[in-house]
Amino acid sequence: MSQDRVIGGLLAAVGVTLALEATTFDVAFMTDPVGPKALPFLVAVMLVVGGAVAWIRPRGDVGLPSANVFLRMGSAVVAFLVYAAALPWLGFFLSTTLVVTALSLLYRGPLLPSSAAAALLSGGLWLLFVRLLSLPLPVGELWIR
Amino acid sequence: MDGFGVAFEPLNIFLALAGVGIGTFVGMLPGIGPINAIAILIPVTFAAGIPPESALILLVGIYYGSQYGNSISTILLNVPGTASAVVTAIDGHAMTKAGRAGPALATAAVASFVGGTFSIFGLVLFAPVLAEWAIRFGPAEYFALMVFAFSALSSFASGSLVRALASTGFGLWLATVGLDPNSAIPRYTFGRIELLDGMDFVVVTIGLFAVSEVLQLLEDTSAGRSATALTGRVVISAKELASTGWTMVRGGIIGFIVGVLPGAGGTIASFLAYSTEERVAGADGRFGQGDIRGVAAPEAANNASVNGALIPLLTLGVPGSGTTAVLLGALLGLGITPGPLLLEEQPDLFWGLAASMYVGNAFLLLLNLPLVGFFVRALTVPRWILIPGVAALAFVAVYAVAGSSFDLVLMTLFGVVGYAMRKFSFPLAPVVLGLVLGPLMEKNLRRAMALSGGDWGVLFDSPIAITLWVLALASLAAPLLLARLAPRRDTAAPEPREEK
Repeated sequence: MSQDRVIGGLLAAVGVTLALEATTFDVAFMTDPVGPKALPFLVAVMLVVGGAVAWIRPRGDVGLPSANVFLRMGSAVVAFLVYAAALPWLGFFLSTTLVVTALSLLYRGPLLPSSAAAALLSGGLWLLFVRLLSLPLPVGELWIR
Repeated sequence: MDGFGVAFEPLNIFLALAGVGIGTFVGMLPGIGPINAIAILIPVTFAAGIPPESALILLVGIYYGSQYGNSISTILLNVPGTASAVVTAIDGHAMTKAGRAGPALATAAVASFVGGTFSIFGLVLFAPVLAEWAIRFGPAEYFALMVFAFSALSSFASGSLVRALASTGFGLWLATVGLDPNSAIPRYTFGRIELLDGMDFVVVTIGLFAVSEVLQLLEDTSAGRSATALTGRVVISAKELASTGWTMVRGGIIGFIVGVLPGAGGTIASFLAYSTEERVAGADGRFGQGDIRGVAAPEAANNASVNGALIPLLTLGVPGSGTTAVLLGALLGLGITPGPLLLEEQPDLFWGLAASMYVGNAFLLLLNLPLVGFFVRALTVPRWILIPGVAALAFVAVYAVAGSSFDLVLMTLFGVVGYAMRKFSFPLAPVVLGLVLGPLMEKNLRRAMALSGGDWGVLFDSPIAITLWVLALASLAAPLLLARLAPRRDTAAPEPREEK
């Protein structure tokens, strides 16, 4: 099956799901004649029509990245998610240094310069945001206890 | 005029300079772009508590500054940062290969200045006229206008109209997430408290554009192309420059007019200006082989288009592109609702911005002519430092929105979605436009219908509304008709990135 058929089917399925969900947006007391369902239904129609056209008139497939590239992209995504989870615990400086180092390595940077640059950047951002702009960044619960 | 009083306040001078400097950098470097830089700086300006007009001076400075920076990497490396510089690459890079990078860069800088300055006149002249006229707009007219903005952006987006519509639908869906403002029932919140307030456009924009770019650049493992060494100084003889005078003026006018139209933007402006000059020059043009007018025309046009695009944003409150949609989000976040009354109620904001743009354009000219070598050196920063650095800035900005890690997860999710959308050529700009305009569109539709007591005919009741509906339909039909009528012309231009 061509890529566009998969995309088309997916879009249509999402559209139908959104429309089904929208049928539950019942309001006891209508404040306006349109109500909260109209825009979601419009969205559902746009997605279903888009999906149907992609299904009926599929384009040629595009080349997908190699397994190696996929692996590195997946690692980057995992690094971002780990960062989100680690930030409140390890604090801004350490987690940012770690995630930026990891990303540099994925971009084939050398280990030592990568981690040095990451630490410098994280420290600089901390000074800029916390000291200069007084915008709070997490210190890390691990260090507070 | 009071505007210059605002523009010459020390903070605003500094912010205009910072804006155009950041803009030049991000326009030049791969992987950032003005839309990301603006989205990243929005939470910073909120947190720093600077006045709205100052924040706008900074953010708009990034927008037009990036058009200058764009020409640098285009001319030297043949790598246009955005689609609006693609035509500049044809003759600009040909000049570089002929050893005339200096004159090409100088022409680009002067043309940008001329186009920018001319079109600020246009902004100052026409914005009050449009505002005066738009006071008559009711909710039905606004609804029709927004439909026109969506259809125009979808039809001008590169690639398939249907995909652009699906992107718009995705953006509108994101706009519905959260508590419905009229009935206060939650829509599509997946049971998460964090989503009751809706999707923050900064989180979505940074995810879709910046994070997806970080992922996409992993595909290209080359360490980044090194800049062609800049030989000679960035100078140009006055005679040669003067020969492009009318080209710049024509480019500026074309760019301004195209910029005002929703959806069109810098790409169409620069193409139109280039092909106009080609026709004007006729037989004595050397377009395609390094004609200096092939640099002057598109550069004047794409800078002018930026100022044109500010008119519908400021006087109607309806942006026509991804970047102006992000600017609208910033304005709303700062407590400013742009619209016909903005000029009366916030004169400092409008005139201060306009005056600061004269200042900013002058800064850009001064920065670009002597300092271009310094900017070019930034192109040699290795990718393994640059891209992770951008990612770190994106994290800080997203975290700053609500001080929550949940937003970082959402951002990552949108990064993956954005990557898939780029891969399968779904345009990203309509998503941002849908997200920012969606709530306003729904509000105006519901208000119009409440006023009419549920009669849908109200949407087509006034001549203005009917005209806007016709324009919306025409903009959807135009690409289909054009594709039938004109055989596709291949250009020698490199693959463009998506217009932001």
